[in-house]
This record gives sequence, structure tokens and C-alpha cells, in this order.
Amino acid sequence: MLVRIQYFAVLREQAGVAEERVETGAATPADLYEEVRQARGFTLPRSSLRVAINDEFCEWSQRLQPGDRVVFLPPVAGG
Amino acid sequence: MQAFSFSNAPLEPERYRDALADAAAGGYSSFEGWVRDHNEGKHVRHLEYEAFESLAIKEGARIVQEAIERFGVTRAACVHRVGDLAIGELAVWVGASSAHRAEAFAACRYIIDEVKHRVPIWKKEHYVDGDSGWVNCERCAVPGHDHAVQHGDRAHYVHEAAAAPAFAHDYSRQTALPEVGAAGQAKIRGASVLVIGAGGLGVPALQYLAAAGIGRLGIVDGDAVEASNLHRQPLFGIADLGQPKASVAAARLAGINRDVRFDVHATRASAENIDALLEDYDLVVECSDNFRTKFLVNDAVVRAGKPAVFASVYQYEGQLQTYLPRDDWPCLRCLWPEAPRDGLVGNCAEAGVLGPVPAALGALQAMEALKRVLGLDANARPAVHVFDLLHLQWRTLRSQRRAECDHSPPGDRAQNAAMNVDESELELEFPDLAAAQASGLTLVDIREAWERDCDAPDRRIEMHLPLSLLLDGRAPPPPQGVRYLIVCAHGVRSLGLTEHLRSLGYRGVYSLRGGLAALSV
Repeated sequence: MLVRIQYFAVLREQAGVAEERVETGAATPADLYEEVRQARGFTLPRSSLRVAINDEFCEWSQRLQPGDRVVFLPPVAGG
Repeated sequence: MQAFSFSNAPLEPERYRDALADAAAGGYSSFEGWVRDHNEGKHVRHLEYEAFESLAIKEGARIVQEAIERFGVTRAACVHRVGDLAIGELAVWVGASSAHRAEAFAACRYIIDEVKHRVPIWKKEHYVDGDSGWVNCERCAVPGHDHAVQHGDRAHYVHEAAAAPAFAHDYSRQTALPEVGAAGQAKIRGASVLVIGAGGLGVPALQYLAAAGIGRLGIVDGDAVEASNLHRQPLFGIADLGQPKASVAAARLAGINRDVRFDVHATRASAENIDALLEDYDLVVECSDNFRTKFLVNDAVVRAGKPAVFASVYQYEGQLQTYLPRDDWPCLRCLWPEAPRDGLVGNCAEAGVLGPVPAALGALQAMEALKRVLGLDANARPAVHVFDLLHLQWRTLRSQRRAECDHSPPGDRAQNAAMNVDESELELEFPDLAAAQASGLTLVDIREAWERDCDAPDRRIEMHLPLSLLLDGRAPPPPQGVRYLIVCAHGVRSLGLTEHLRSLGYRGVYSLRGGLAALSV
């Protein structure tokens, strides 16, 4: 299935893109993050992030649906 | 003599006059301000002058220089008394010598008028009836204002409007809004807001809240103004370098709005002081640059049942989140059950930032605070707003209260108190790496390979463990049982890793305060 992923903060920096469409067999955002973590070389573990699907924060075990818009959000502290 | 100075002892106009003598001068003019026995119908017994000296001397010298340039006088100077003065004593002396009399008179007039208006000096009058009060803040030069100042951690710059102020703030551009009006302005006037952090976010938040006429504004910041602040904190200037940010901000903001009472808290928010800091305010605007403070503030506002507006930035992005004390409202811990450790995801010092990014987020925080004060947030829903200013995109991610979050830090208070004791020893300071090594510590550099390439190798660093490899699991953590000093560029990442290792049971692990940048190499 095709999903849209948006990256923020250090993930955007490490991915080199703010957004991408990914063809994936991942069933959950947890699986999806593991896929892109390896592909993109992300250094942050999943436990440091929150995930939102279609603009709602959700659990990592939520079922992904085709066309979902997934946001991986790291906390930021700068001021 | 110095262009502008303070004196604790009685002024000596004869001596000052001699210092202005010059063969090119055809005359000399002076002005003396004396302590009089009455003010606004009250009999004054004696009075005290107090000044914010470091700022005042710079500003005073600037005024004298302006007068010399503007009127072309030969020499000019001003001396102001501080301390306790009796009736009839000399409070201030101004003198100017020049080729012709007109310029000397004009320069004297200019200097005394500007000093009264611009230099932070406060006057406390003691009345015959035993009463006393800080009055006629010379900084404002407005008769009929009441002012108070106390110094130290909790200094107050009180500016309470009196019966007939010479200057009335004009809020017409905001009261013209149907949702604001006179009633809304009264709500703003009655509000008290604590701004934690006077940095990239705090500066615009403070400026807009002060300008809007928030009745009481508290400013918490324990840092001094640094050169690296100026690109994104334009409330501060070159002359402020090294001065306490909270005091400088209060002095500057007092020049924007005289209706506001400013409380200066020139201290870092800590577990020990946070509850007391919050006490006097209705709302908190959290503008710090570290997770430790953000979670400290989160826990405190939850305890106190007060609303708070949080924001953070990273490079070109910002996150904005408002906490409301409602049962269904998520707190910061609902969103981030594992409080992030500082340094692990970057801050402004290490990740870089363009000024307008925190400026935009800080202005949004002021907007959120004003909405709250005006009651314009009735339809608010809990969310994290994520702004990408590089691509001009804004996502609103809806959040919910997490059922298992009890809105309090993990572990009981006693355990946290114990952690705080430990915190005091998380960082160590050394003049150089040799001194660190001499104290028996093994030096671990956690900077990335590309960062280290910029420096000449230092043989005292015994271990290179790039943080990214450690976090990733690609490098094993250092063996336990050794005393480590973790070093990075600025001491932020090393502190984060030190806390992390301590939480894993490591003992004798420390972070080099300020990082390699702080060493006197």
C-alpha cells in the first residue's frame, strides 16, 4: 500500500526530505518506522518519537490504511 | 573625569567644575538638582536614590557624548548621588564648558532631561508622617506614577498608573476589535503572566505581552546576554553583553509600556523554586530551551492547576502546545511519556536556528496567552501545532489525554528530590583537558566524526564514541566501573548522555560544563 510520510526536526534533517510517498508492506506505524529507519539511517529510536496518522496522535500498533498520512515527530527543545 | 558617574558621598561641584576647565572654553554652565522637602502635597523628610548602576553608567555616558556632539561643547559631565540624602543635599550635578554660552546651557538642559528620562534611577521618599514610597521614577519622568524597586532575585519594577499620568497608553488598535473592547483591555490589565526564558521565544512573547498591557509580567532567566543571542533576540543590544537578561529585558520593556509591573527573576527555574515562581501568576508562557525546564514547568502548572503555553524550535521548525487545567486535557507527559533528555535531539546551540523561527513561535505564544486572558479560546482542542517555516506548512496534530498518565513525574517526590541532589554533580568544570585528566577522569568525546575533523587531535581524549552511533546501538556503551568525563562541543549533548548513563546505573559519570568551547585552550 502507498502511504505518505512527513518528517520533522532531526528526522527531516537526516532523511534530507520533509516528505515522501512510500510503498510499504508494514502493518503498523511501528513496522513502518523500522523500515524507514534502516533505509534512511535515522539515529533516533522509536521510543523517542510520537506518531500521528491523519493528523491524530495514535498508538504505534494502530493498523495502517492505504493513503494514510503519517507524521513521525521528535520532541524539540530549542528556544 | 568620567562622563557619567555615581557617588555615594556628597557631590563636590567645585572639583567637577575644575575638571571641565579648558583653554578653548569661554564659559561654563552647570545645573544642580537638590532634594526638596515636599512632593505632591506630602512633606518629605529625606530620600534614597537607587540605580541599576551597570546599565545606568553606560546610558548616562551615552547621553553626555550625545550632548557633546549635538551642541559642540568642549567638555561635559554628569554625577548622580545614590544612597540616603537629606533635604537640601545635592542629588545630581551636570556641567558643560564651551566656547560660547548658548551651547553650554543647551547641553546642560539636554543632559539633565535625558538622564531623567532614560537612566534607570529610582527615588524613595520618606515622609514626615513616617510613610515612605518609591516615587517619580526618573526613568519615566512622569509625575504622579508610583514605582517600587527591590533588587536581588525578585526585583520589582512597579509602574502603577496614577490619577493623571502625562502619558496614557493608547490601546485603541486592539480595543477596536469587537472581541476586545474596553472590557477586554481590563482583562488584559488584570492579568499576570510568567514568562520562563528570555531568549529567542521569550523576547517576542515578552514584547507583545508588555505592549498589549498585561498588568504584571514576570521574567525568569538566569543567564547573561551573550553575543550569540543578538541575532534572534533583538530586545538586547551590544551594550547589554554580560548583563543579566531578566533585568535588561525588564528595563527595556518598561520603556515600551509603563502600565506593566515587571518582576525580575534573575534565576534559573529549578525544582526548588518553580512552585514559588508560579504562585503570583495566572498563566505561564514557557520559552526555555531545554527539556528539563519544560517538564519541570509542565509538572508545576499541572500541580498548580494553571494554564501554560509551550513552544520549542528546531532549525526551521517549531512546535506549539497549550496546556489547560482541565480533566480531559493532555499534559506534556501525556504526549511524551519518556521525558526526552537534553542534547539527544539538538538545541539551538548545536542545530542552528534563524531568528525569525523562534520569533514567529514566540509571537504565537503571546497570541495564545492573550486568547486565554480574553476568553477567546472557548473552542480550543488539545493539539500540537507543528510549523515548518522552510516550506511554510503548518500541521495540527490532535492529541488526547493518555489514560495511564497521572500528570506527574515518574517516581514519587522523594525519589525526584534525590535525583535533584544528584543533578548538582552532573557537570564538572575544568580550565583545560589536562586538568580533567589529572583528576582521574577518562575523557570520552561524543562528537560526530565530522566535528572532530575540524580540530587538531588531543591525546588526552581516550575514547571517541559518536553520540549517533551510541543512540543507534551501532557502538556499545562504555564499560561501567570507570570514572568518565563526557565531552561535546557545548556541553548539551554530553549532559544528556550523562543523565542517560546515570539512569542506566552508571556512577562517576560527568559532563564537561560548557563543552570544549568553554575550555581556555
